Amino acid sequence: MASSRLNFLGPTPLSRRRALWGMALIAPNTLGLLFFFGIPVLIAFWTSFQQWNALKPPVYIGLENFERLVDDQMFHTALTNTLKLLGLTVPLEIVLAMGVAVLLNQPLAGRSLLRTAYFLPVVTSTVAASIVWTGAFQQRYGILSSLLEPVGLGDYKWLVDPGLVLIPIAAVTVWQRLGFDMVIFLAGLQSIPGVLYEAATIDGANRWQRFRHVTLPMLSPTTFLVMVLAVINSFQIFDQVYVMTLRTVPGGVGGSATTLAYYLYRRAFTDSEFGYASAIALVLFVIILSVTVVQLAGQRMWVYYEAEKG
Amino acid sequence: MRKAKRQLVAVLLVLLMSALALPVNAQDGEPVIQPQPCEEPGQLTMWVWDEAWAEIIGASIDQWAAEYCPGAEVDLQVQPWGQYWDLLQTNAAGGDLPDVFNMSQPFFYFYASNDVLLDLQPYWDQYGVDTTVWGSGMVDPYRWGEAGDLYAAPVNWDTIAIFYNKDMFDAAGLEYPSAGWTWDDFAAAAEALTNADEDIYGAEVYLEFQAGYPNWIAATGTTPVVEAGRARCTLADEGSIEALTFLQNLYQQGYMPSVSIVGSTSPDDAFNLFASGRIAMVAGGSWKLPVAFEEVPFNWDVVQLPAHPETGLSRSILHAVGYVASSRTENPDLAANLILFLASDEGQRYFAEAGGVAPANPSPALQQLWIDSFGDSDVNIQAFVDATVDSQGVTAFDEIWDAINSEIVVQIFDLDVPVEEAVASTCEFIETQLPEQQQ
Amino acid sequence: MADRSARPSYRDFDWRIRLITYALLILGAIVMLMPFAWMVSTACKPPIELNKLPVRWIPENPACVENFNLLYDQSPRFNRYLLNSALVTIGRTLGQLVTCSLAAYGFARFSFPGRNIIFALCLGLLMVPFQAILIPEYLLIRELGWLNSFRALIVPGIFSAFALFLLRQAFLQIPLEIEEAATIDGASPLRVLWHITLPLSVPALAAFGVITVQAAWNDFLYPLVVANAPDTRVVTIGISLLQGERRTPYNLLMMGSFLATVPMLVLFMLLQRYFIEGISMSGLKR
Repeated sequence: MASSRLNFLGPTPLSRRRALWGMALIAPNTLGLLFFFGIPVLIAFWTSFQQWNALKPPVYIGLENFERLVDDQMFHTALTNTLKLLGLTVPLEIVLAMGVAVLLNQPLAGRSLLRTAYFLPVVTSTVAASIVWTGAFQQRYGILSSLLEPVGLGDYKWLVDPGLVLIPIAAVTVWQRLGFDMVIFLAGLQSIPGVLYEAATIDGANRWQRFRHVTLPMLSPTTFLVMVLAVINSFQIFDQVYVMTLRTVPGGVGGSATTLAYYLYRRAFTDSEFGYASAIALVLFVIILSVTVVQLAGQRMWVYYEAEKG
Repeated sequence: MRKAKRQLVAVLLVLLMSALALPVNAQDGEPVIQPQPCEEPGQLTMWVWDEAWAEIIGASIDQWAAEYCPGAEVDLQVQPWGQYWDLLQTNAAGGDLPDVFNMSQPFFYFYASNDVLLDLQPYWDQYGVDTTVWGSGMVDPYRWGEAGDLYAAPVNWDTIAIFYNKDMFDAAGLEYPSAGWTWDDFAAAAEALTNADEDIYGAEVYLEFQAGYPNWIAATGTTPVVEAGRARCTLADEGSIEALTFLQNLYQQGYMPSVSIVGSTSPDDAFNLFASGRIAMVAGGSWKLPVAFEEVPFNWDVVQLPAHPETGLSRSILHAVGYVASSRTENPDLAANLILFLASDEGQRYFAEAGGVAPANPSPALQQLWIDSFGDSDVNIQAFVDATVDSQGVTAFDEIWDAINSEIVVQIFDLDVPVEEAVASTCEFIETQLPEQQQ
Repeated sequence: MADRSARPSYRDFDWRIRLITYALLILGAIVMLMPFAWMVSTACKPPIELNKLPVRWIPENPACVENFNLLYDQSPRFNRYLLNSALVTIGRTLGQLVTCSLAAYGFARFSFPGRNIIFALCLGLLMVPFQAILIPEYLLIRELGWLNSFRALIVPGIFSAFALFLLRQAFLQIPLEIEEAATIDGASPLRVLWHITLPLSVPALAAFGVITVQAAWNDFLYPLVVANAPDTRVVTIGISLLQGERRTPYNLLMMGSFLATVPMLVLFMLLQRYFIEGISMSGLKR
């Protein structure tokens, strides 16, 4: 009787038992997440159909917020900027972080100091970072400008020129994410069994071949993790825009540095349009979700899971 | 003229010396605002955004609770300035607002128009406070409703004047500027003080709403940026264009550095360049005085903003932080009584003595107390006090803040966008924000 | 073990390539270091040197001790804020270690109906921009009556989609056979997780520790909204309170930031060796 009710859990008693175990194991975290984050998400979802300025009671307006989005030029600008930043940061960030992690995984003098240095941006105060980086990109007196001066590139207005401002923002994003990704890659490199390198060496593989045929495929679950997280993060770029443009033109001249996350924050807290901001958030969420689903579906083509082989 | 003022200051000083011997509330002159005992003590929550202020305000609240409202309890909470408004909205969303909180002029409209602020006018009437004792720049932005009820008590004021490097004036063989100087005098001095070979600029005066170009627009007789009552964008008006063109011309001549060279649209960064000897004259707020006294390594002084050659006006933007009460408070009478005390001569003494920001209460004794808080010096601090007369309150508001504080500044003074073009696009944006602001 | 020398080693490289990579690594490290160096330098500057141009990296008259004392003058409860941050960080990290390793193990090793959907749902929470749920989050905590309490600071933080994802990926990299042997011996899933899976995942746990700890320690907006009372104030808020509308004492801000960063750096230096010294799996494997 009891077992027939539990049949949907699996064909055999063992598989049913394991299914129950699995559900018990995931229960605390799943329920906690759903309660503490799921409920706020539902409230935000509900808000996206309201007109609400936080001071007066919300008014239901149906799909009006979403209809407004269609013609909102700033929304289109923010979407374009967000996608440009994705292209500028994610590939660079992953390649650099993997490279640094592989090098810093070698026995190397001063390795732990170098690792700490690369991790520093993750813990450095945002205020300090903003002052140093906006200073570095300052026209003429900035460090970067003085470095580029000899090649005749010293006089750019990096932080105010609408055509350039995304470059410093992308640079600071990569600067800050590198250490984060490196940590995950370093952990991932450890799970590659040394015997595989031995075998490859015996087969006469050179350094590059070993990297190409052992490290890369064995690291692929980690690379996948880093990639998914990097994409999600790049869709949510906020701090870097805030920090790099706060002292010049917040959000860039004509919104040239405005990302979707930054735009929705502005709409919410500056313009007090919490309904509209929630609508932007919902669209952003759907975009991230679709991209992630594509990535999850695509992982079969290149991600190699030790546990799932043959 | 200058001599007469010196004498006046001397007389005031003597008067003050004698006054200081006694507590302020026992002075000969009638206090401008007299505190009143509360009717019934109770509990209040209060928000401020500055830890240093919390200490000063805390001291005056203690005096209020001891002398005027025994048994009252105030839970004074400090919120970081950078997130103050976000927090206020977040709390409002849950139906909570502190009973009493600090307000800033650009944000007042939003809260007043959503009916969450307590109308303090009945209390001013009840307590017999004439609200015109405060300058128009201090209180006009805090008036609301058809009768112009005053919803806030100003805490402090700050105004704008020109800080100048006396050593550079000496080296260039120029006379020091004095009150009543004109735009033409200013332009001539900026040109003479500029030394392109050594990267020294004559002036920097256009940055940001409060210290920047709107002061110059006000001098033409035009209300800067937005007309009173948020009816209309005034940036495309003749006076605005004249002021902006005058300043853009100085920038294009190379007498004033671009935004990218200053590194930001903040007048504080321009002030750093002034303190480092790279700018000879800089527009600065009275809030810069403590920094100037502490950090500027050369001889410097302050002079009021130059007057427009035809109108003869020298106008400073004035900003006053205010105390407001929530309309949802359970103790409106108590909240109003506390605000009355904080605005009174007694309550404001703590601000005057602490230095830094000037007390809003216009009592001459308090203003002098503030000037004296900087110690013995020849610096013409009085220029800032003088600038409070006929001053211009902040007409900017949160939704257009960035557009007028930085966007238009960068366009005109960095990207060389022609003034007419920049004001047209800015006004177009401002107009989209105005109807929403109207009831 | 022989395997280590068999890994592609840096020593295999031509000395010229080695020199170049070293130079690049160090150059990169300098770029990484710069804002931190500026933070330390500013923390030791007297006010008069703060805004001097051109910028000096080494203060003329270092005022480290003076600024340290001044920080505690202005913020007498700074140590309390550090302690609060430590409590919150420890609570969240230990909590996540339990909830997320259990859940990651469940997702990685057990099949049950709806597994992929539930996992996607959890992952989906990572994709919600935090700015959008700030007010709803406040409303929820307020409704629970948890405002200005450590419960509000810690409890929601012991659940994490990120840690779940990180640990699940790590568990998936462990060969099934090792666990299967133990399972056949009759060990319960919890025993397998505790005695086999977790020890094999030390590098991932170190990464988890470093990332989770620093995220909890640096959290600012959420604690500000739900628990900015003197007794529950965390250090990031304490630092932000040093700044006023018209007052930015960079030296004190940076001294505060420096004091708050040091524990994170010490922790990283302690944990980073586990990225290499995690129990080598090669011997266990086949």
